[in-house]
Amino acid sequence: MMSSEFNLVTEAKDNCIVINTTGYINNIGGQKIVDEFYKHNSNGINNVVLNLANSNVVNSIGISFLIEIIEKLNQSSGKLIFTNLDPSIEKTFTIMGLFQFAKKADNLEEALKYL
Amino acid sequence: MNIVEYNNIIDKLSVHVKSFQEGFSLLSKSSTLKEFGTDFCRILRGNFFISDVNLFFKGNDTTEWKSVVVHNEKCYECLPYLKPSPEVHIEYFSENEFSIIATLPSTDGSFWGLVIGRKLDKSEITEIDKITLQMFLQLLDNAYQSFTNQKKEKQLIFSLNHRVVQLNSLIDTGIEISKLHKTASLLELSLERAVALTNASSGVLQIISENIIVSEIGFPGNFDREKVLSSKNKIDTSVEFQNIKYLFTLSEKESRNGIIAFDQTDEILLQAFARQVLAALENEHLHSEAIDKERMHQEIEMAATIQRKIIPQHLPEIEGYDLAGINIPSLEIGGDYYDVTKLKDGRYLLIIADVSGKGVASGLLVNTLNASLNAYVENDFMLTEVADRLNKIIYKASTPEKYITGFIAILDPLTGTIEYLNAGHNPIFYANNGKLKKLDKGGLAFGMLDFAFPYESARIQLYPGEKILFYTDGITEAMDSEDEEYSDQRLESFFLSENPAKAKSFIENLMADIKTHTKNTPQSDDITALYLSRNR
Repeated sequence: MMSSEFNLVTEAKDNCIVINTTGYINNIGGQKIVDEFYKHNSNGINNVVLNLANSNVVNSIGISFLIEIIEKLNQSSGKLIFTNLDPSIEKTFTIMGLFQFAKKADNLEEALKYL
Repeated sequence: MNIVEYNNIIDKLSVHVKSFQEGFSLLSKSSTLKEFGTDFCRILRGNFFISDVNLFFKGNDTTEWKSVVVHNEKCYECLPYLKPSPEVHIEYFSENEFSIIATLPSTDGSFWGLVIGRKLDKSEITEIDKITLQMFLQLLDNAYQSFTNQKKEKQLIFSLNHRVVQLNSLIDTGIEISKLHKTASLLELSLERAVALTNASSGVLQIISENIIVSEIGFPGNFDREKVLSSKNKIDTSVEFQNIKYLFTLSEKESRNGIIAFDQTDEILLQAFARQVLAALENEHLHSEAIDKERMHQEIEMAATIQRKIIPQHLPEIEGYDLAGINIPSLEIGGDYYDVTKLKDGRYLLIIADVSGKGVASGLLVNTLNASLNAYVENDFMLTEVADRLNKIIYKASTPEKYITGFIAILDPLTGTIEYLNAGHNPIFYANNGKLKKLDKGGLAFGMLDFAFPYESARIQLYPGEKILFYTDGITEAMDSEDEEYSDQRLESFFLSENPAKAKSFIENLMADIKTHTKNTPQSDDITALYLSRNR
């Protein structure tokens, strides 16, 4: 149940990137995700899959970074797809309104189909 | 000014107004200050034909100027010329690398600083340009207000949503941890949620017994224990259950602008989580107790089933005699016992016994008595010798306050002779020639003393038409709602007057008479009776 230190691994897939996270998505975790996003976004990548299979705890600061990505992608008609969400995170994202502007998928395969 | 120049000015201003309107819409939607500034500089460059527009921002009187957009590094040299004041301050320069330096106050107490280079055509700033600049400074001010209002609105919605998340998570966590039956799991989950919902960087839960930390849980996994506990920015709360203290400490509340102080809501939230943990621990304890109780109940039921098998379901049929018996325990496991067994020499052993007290311990002694007796019936049965051995066995098997009163009789069915021995039991009723005789010869109850007070037996002759009633004190002491006992006298009278054809009817009628006395008063002691009559 306990998450270890936050880290992420990014995979490039055709026209998108898949960011796989591990650990608590807080200020540190959120900043790392945003930095990773901007790194690829500046190279023209507009579609992002965020795989949270190994992250089951997120705080509101972490969420604010995710909203920043969503807003940025909305300006350029890009897409953000969340996948492998823990039920508690899914509920949190629903309440925070993230799924009004981003999609969710049960698994990576399904997420890639949305793009 | 001729008509052409006049029309040019009108056209130019029309373009600026259109640009103003579009610019307001664009700038208001900016997501960051950097984006806002970049777009504003782009608008200004397009309208003024100036490539070099530099923009600075100052949060309030006390903060430093921060660059937002810089096209020309030399603009930093102009920072001393930016004059933060409640009024708009604009200076125009004709012989300088920069043609305009302007400072604009905003309603939220912040300031914008503009350092504008020369026009692309190298021409001087005209009066029309100055009017246009005023217009775009107004745009900057209005758009910034709209931008900050939208940002505030977003923050408010975010904050409200976050409150809903906190409440929702508090409820969900309460439900989730109540389903967890492993203490460690519920503590981990509570700590995780408390850390996340208060935006703490990390947290520690210490389990303390007698001022000694016996266990510690931290979140996230890489938490620095010392950093959390020694932090100046922390909140804590504790709950206590069964002399064990659960101390929650959360440290370093996060924000997008760094670490901030925890607020009262965070403290309330943490206390609520701690109370949920306390409730879950209590529930877990009650659940575990209920399981133990259920297990105990099952074991008692099993013991009761075993004991019911000791009480005979059917009595042997003895030619010329009629037998019937009954045993009604007041608890699941009773302390009364009766049995009729044929000995290998053709005689019959009849026994009734009553263990002091009730419940499991009494039931165990009944079992010991039954097992011992069964061992002896296989051999030559000498009543006084068996009684002596039973006494020693029961003494060894029981605690000082436990003993067994009993009445044992050996019936020779051919002659009607009965040898009996009363071990501290209530006198057994014998109707001899229509008169009541009480059989009380014997000795002390089994298990009272281990040294030898020799048991004595006695003999009676049971003639046709005569009868014996073995009973326990649960009958004579059966009480009605006013604590009035059924009594020895009533039993004696019933025994002498009741002469049905069948022994079974005697027992049924006796039970009915007891019920008439007690009415619906709950039974307080085991009721046991064994009735023997000689027909011929």
